[in-house]
Amino acid sequence: MRHSGSVLPVILVCGLVIAAGLPVASSETSGSAATTRSVARGRDGSLALIRIAKTPALRVQVLTRLQIDVRQELTTCLLAYADRNDIDLLRRNGVRFTVLDRDAARREFLVVGIAAPGALASLRAAGHAAAVEPSTAVFWTEEGSALEAVPAGLPRKAFPSRSVLPYVRMRPEPAPAPSVSVAQDPLVETIVSLVSSSNLAADVQMLQDFQTRYASTTNCEAAGEALFAAFSALGLDNVRFEQFTFSGSYTSRNVVAEKRGETYPGDVFIVCSHYDSTSPSRLTLAPGADDNASGTAAVLEAARVLAPYPLDYTVRFIAFSAEEWGLWGSRAYASLARLGGQPILGVINLDMIGYADAMPEDLQIIVNGNSTWLADLFLAAGAHYGVVGATKTVDQSFVYSDHSPFWDNGYPALLAIEDNPLTNPYYHRTTDTLDTLNIDFLTSATRASVGLLAELAQPIKAGYPRTPVGLYAELSVYRSLFNSLHTVRLHWTAQTDATSYNIYRTNTPHLGYVKINTMPVTGTSFSDTNAGSDPTFSYAVTAVGPAGLESNRSRDAQWVIYLDGLATAPASIRAPSNVPIFGFPVLRGIR
Amino acid sequence: MKAGRLAAGLALFVVGLAAAAPAQELSASFGAGGFFPSDGAYREIYGSSLSFAGDLWLKLKGPVGFAAGFGRISDKGVAAPSSSDGTEAFPLEFRRTSIPLIVFYQIEAGPVAIRLGAGAGIHSYRETWQTVDLDFRGHKTSPRIVLAVSAAVIKRVSFFCSGSFESIRTGESSLPDVSINLGGFQVLGGLAFRVF
Repeated sequence: MRHSGSVLPVILVCGLVIAAGLPVASSETSGSAATTRSVARGRDGSLALIRIAKTPALRVQVLTRLQIDVRQELTTCLLAYADRNDIDLLRRNGVRFTVLDRDAARREFLVVGIAAPGALASLRAAGHAAAVEPSTAVFWTEEGSALEAVPAGLPRKAFPSRSVLPYVRMRPEPAPAPSVSVAQDPLVETIVSLVSSSNLAADVQMLQDFQTRYASTTNCEAAGEALFAAFSALGLDNVRFEQFTFSGSYTSRNVVAEKRGETYPGDVFIVCSHYDSTSPSRLTLAPGADDNASGTAAVLEAARVLAPYPLDYTVRFIAFSAEEWGLWGSRAYASLARLGGQPILGVINLDMIGYADAMPEDLQIIVNGNSTWLADLFLAAGAHYGVVGATKTVDQSFVYSDHSPFWDNGYPALLAIEDNPLTNPYYHRTTDTLDTLNIDFLTSATRASVGLLAELAQPIKAGYPRTPVGLYAELSVYRSLFNSLHTVRLHWTAQTDATSYNIYRTNTPHLGYVKINTMPVTGTSFSDTNAGSDPTFSYAVTAVGPAGLESNRSRDAQWVIYLDGLATAPASIRAPSNVPIFGFPVLRGIR
Repeated sequence: MKAGRLAAGLALFVVGLAAAAPAQELSASFGAGGFFPSDGAYREIYGSSLSFAGDLWLKLKGPVGFAAGFGRISDKGVAAPSSSDGTEAFPLEFRRTSIPLIVFYQIEAGPVAIRLGAGAGIHSYRETWQTVDLDFRGHKTSPRIVLAVSAAVIKRVSFFCSGSFESIRTGESSLPDVSINLGGFQVLGGLAFRVF
């Protein structure tokens, strides 16, 4: 075999580099990102920003073991900080990566959407930009704030303040969801029917009338005051401002209110939007009717229609601020929620749900791999309650709205948005006003969102047994010489108004529950001996009253199995079917 | 049943050998006794088992002979929980059918005959969960050694007892990286009938 003459010098140079003990990045090609190949030469303690390709061979466990500081998960890659030692370890473990910047310790990095024509060129004119995916770039500047340098109109997001690695799941393509439908629930129908077009239009107008809601302006703060007053007038619980600092010295406030759950008050579903706005004249005129008075009006309307009804779960209504600056409000909120260990079960983020470029318009529901169940339920609720079409997109790289910080902190979240990519010609302009919106579409989108929220939070019906509580599961593995049987023993607290119970199981998180008891269960425990047939399963229980009326489903109990000893967050069972569960440490737990 | 047909075939083979070879003696033995498994997991689930066997012993001219037979071990047990959480009982049934093929050396001392043999056992086994749909079947061949003693009682009838040991490594288990050994020590007692 003959080497071409041009290869030999490269080999010699590589040999010299290796002989000198300098770390060398792998040679993956990734557009402009691949132009920087060596890393962190020079002073000790230097830090590089690297792009780790999500190849089929990549194992999160390896990154966890190496304690790699991953700051952003995208669809095809991870963005991480790495010092010389990390680089060396990654290389030795066969992890494919490219170096984006060698001097990351003193930089502010942004993830920027570059789907629009010319976006990458305009970014490069403003600073340094490396395309890490066809529609995504990382942007930074040599001096000053990258946030202030990024061209207007391009969606952007700052890195979270902590590693997102604990929440990265290198799953294969999500399994097809079971056919999801929501049952005809007259009470939910009633609640949804209360959503009012005129209320929505009035709320959009109210927010638009502040002229601008650009975070850092007094008008934005005044809009926050108005939202606080609106939540308070509905008699919601714990209405409050949550102040945060952004972009150095600015402060703003998220507006938070909640309808406290009666059965599971500690477990929370969130419906949220951002109320700040922007435009080229952002300090004086940014009406932001579609972006995002529409979403905020929907949150207000959801609060109004749900307020009178007792719910099993707590619903939190949040209007975030400083989204247009880089998701500051939601970043602060989600980060604190994770630090406080808040059990947030699902987040519905409504951002731009009022403009229809064509009728019938449909909603785009964007989720990450951990939140697909939420999108499936939204689609079902949309078809049933909103009479609005919806399309699910699993896109880890769509990080430019307030759902993204929840993803970064391991919470399931969806974004509902009118179009992706956006088609609203008034987007981020002074002409984004109420008269450009389609109120019928906004009403349908709100109804679908309220329908989903009500399905999740479970209104308590008068005359029905109370929802069972205290459900927990014990996994037992029985073995013979050649076979093992996984049984799940469920226990729950007796309900005084129940005569029997039904047990439901699903192998897809939160979806497709199927009743598994053939006879009514009169006690408060049940053994499922078919649990081992599928590695993922969760359970819920309902109470049945003397008249045969069945309660809402209990909160589900899922099993947590740590296959690698490294996972820290509770999750559903994820044992590959060809790996016997028996033999691994099994932790008893409830999601 | 496959094993039964195989046993009948082997018995016919031994009888045929007896007819064709310069056979000195053909006897049949029938016995029952106990099986003491060597595998701890087996003992934990099933304990010791009852076993039954029948063999044809063909002694050629001189002290050497062949034996073939049919053996059956069956027992009932309960699936063992892997942790203290398990409070339920899942009854199990285990059956093993064996075809031993032995070459033996016979020592005679008056009415007592002592046979030392070695050979192979062909095993077919099945473990069934009685209340859930779980079942396992397997086949294995293993080495076998045997010591049998018979003492004549009347003209053609002897008391008979034997001890045998087998190691049956299946390469299978409900646990990862573990191979269940279905072998162990078997003691039988019964009667032997001399055909000629």
